[in-house]
Amino acid sequence: MLKVNRLKRTFNHGTAGFQDINLSVKEGEIIGVLGTSGCGKSTLLRVLSGLDQQYEGTISIENGSNNQIGMMFQEPRLLPWLSVKKNISFGLKKEERNTDKYKTYLDLVGLTGFENHYPKDLSGGMAQRTAIARALITEPEILLLDEPFSALDAFTKMQLQDLLLSIWQKKKTTMILVTHDIDEALYLCDRIFILKGQPGEVYSEVSIEKQRPRTRGDGYLSKQKAHILHLLNVEKKAAGEHQ
Amino acid sequence: MISETHKWKIAQRASPQKLSASKGIFQLGRGILIGSILPIILLITWEIAARTGLLAAHLLPAPTIILEKIISMYQDGSLFGHISITLTRVFLGFAIGTGAAVVIGAIVGYAKTAERLLDPLFQAIRSIPSLAWVPLFILWMGIGEPSKISLIAVGVFFPVYLNIVAGIQGVDRKLIEVGRIYQLTPYQLTKRIILPAALPSFITGMRSGLGLGWMFVVAAELMGASEGLGYLLVVGQNTYSPDTVIASILLFAVLGKITDAVLKWVEHRSLKWQDSMTNQG
Repeated sequence: MLKVNRLKRTFNHGTAGFQDINLSVKEGEIIGVLGTSGCGKSTLLRVLSGLDQQYEGTISIENGSNNQIGMMFQEPRLLPWLSVKKNISFGLKKEERNTDKYKTYLDLVGLTGFENHYPKDLSGGMAQRTAIARALITEPEILLLDEPFSALDAFTKMQLQDLLLSIWQKKKTTMILVTHDIDEALYLCDRIFILKGQPGEVYSEVSIEKQRPRTRGDGYLSKQKAHILHLLNVEKKAAGEHQ
Repeated sequence: MISETHKWKIAQRASPQKLSASKGIFQLGRGILIGSILPIILLITWEIAARTGLLAAHLLPAPTIILEKIISMYQDGSLFGHISITLTRVFLGFAIGTGAAVVIGAIVGYAKTAERLLDPLFQAIRSIPSLAWVPLFILWMGIGEPSKISLIAVGVFFPVYLNIVAGIQGVDRKLIEVGRIYQLTPYQLTKRIILPAALPSFITGMRSGLGLGWMFVVAAELMGASEGLGYLLVVGQNTYSPDTVIASILLFAVLGKITDAVLKWVEHRSLKWQDSMTNQG
């Protein structure tokens, strides 16, 4: 449903960003994008979300409805002057904004009873839950997640990963998850793209053929992790040789 | 996920709201009490000193005399006239100054070209001490209301303008990106993200603008008026009646404090969401 062809966006005279990215994402898939810092993973999401329009190549999305894309950032990015309820409803059309639609999503992310709190009164995990609800309420075709849990503590992170999976079970939203956490990618994704280089290119693609829910630290996943680490290490050596 | 929510609910229950509320009032009362010790001592000393002749009554009359003056002005009906005309001037000047500052500040804050075009000019005008406009305004508009209100408006304009520009330019890029994800139009982006985000600094600007408004109403009324608290100052000076002068100073202080308290209240109401020192607890 999402096809990306020869996508390129570079900065600093071609030393940062990414180039020559070809992807196709099927409906309901969870795609992971892994890579060391500076290989353009976040830039890729910014281009896909439309925040950055200075790109070359083509992006095509089937089933084009109005709210095609939802995005979650590393920080919750809630609007501090709006209550949880209004933050969740933020992306809705004016007519829908004052309805009870937010309730479904408030319950979905487990924040029932917190609709009138302001962001300043929320913990990091709760704020990120609110952000998940806000991203989902517009029912986007594709949800882009830019290291959404990297600022959270280990336990909250696991809880939210499970939450994301339970939402996926219900809604089958297509997701693209940029992360630097290999375990997270293995736990959540159907396919993982490994980006390397500066500017980044797709170095390898790893498919995780395992039914969800998966067990953390499962033998198969550990093997895949070793494989991915190996791929990333190769990159490190190659970079070392160049210098 | 449940445990986190649960913990929060427990924490909520554990801090009894009522207790903290009554404690707040108690602390507020104690604050007022402590804060008024010195002024009361000072007033009593002043009263005694004036009554015993330690202070020359024709220079500094006793507080009770001043109070009597205010009451007598209230009884002959002139007090209300002076206060209302002064308040009207401040209010009109404040409204015009703030209105102009909102429009121009929003444009300058939002559009880079407008900033390059307009901001140097306004910065240059700002460095003129506002009282220097007095003769020019009188030449242009005569000694009536328009020149007075213009002077107040000029005084109010700059703090509001500067704060709006700073507020708009300081809006977090990350929040603007949220708006762009939802494909907001520039108008929606301004209304739903930029203006609310700039509100705290706008209100700060309004409060300092109001302070300057009170300063300039005194200047405007000193330069020639037939009514108003500033006019009372002049009358008091010319008739050797320090009680009138001090009464009018006192009224200025009270009115300035009340109008600022109103703005402070608005600030508190509209900025409850802020994660600041005053909003804790």
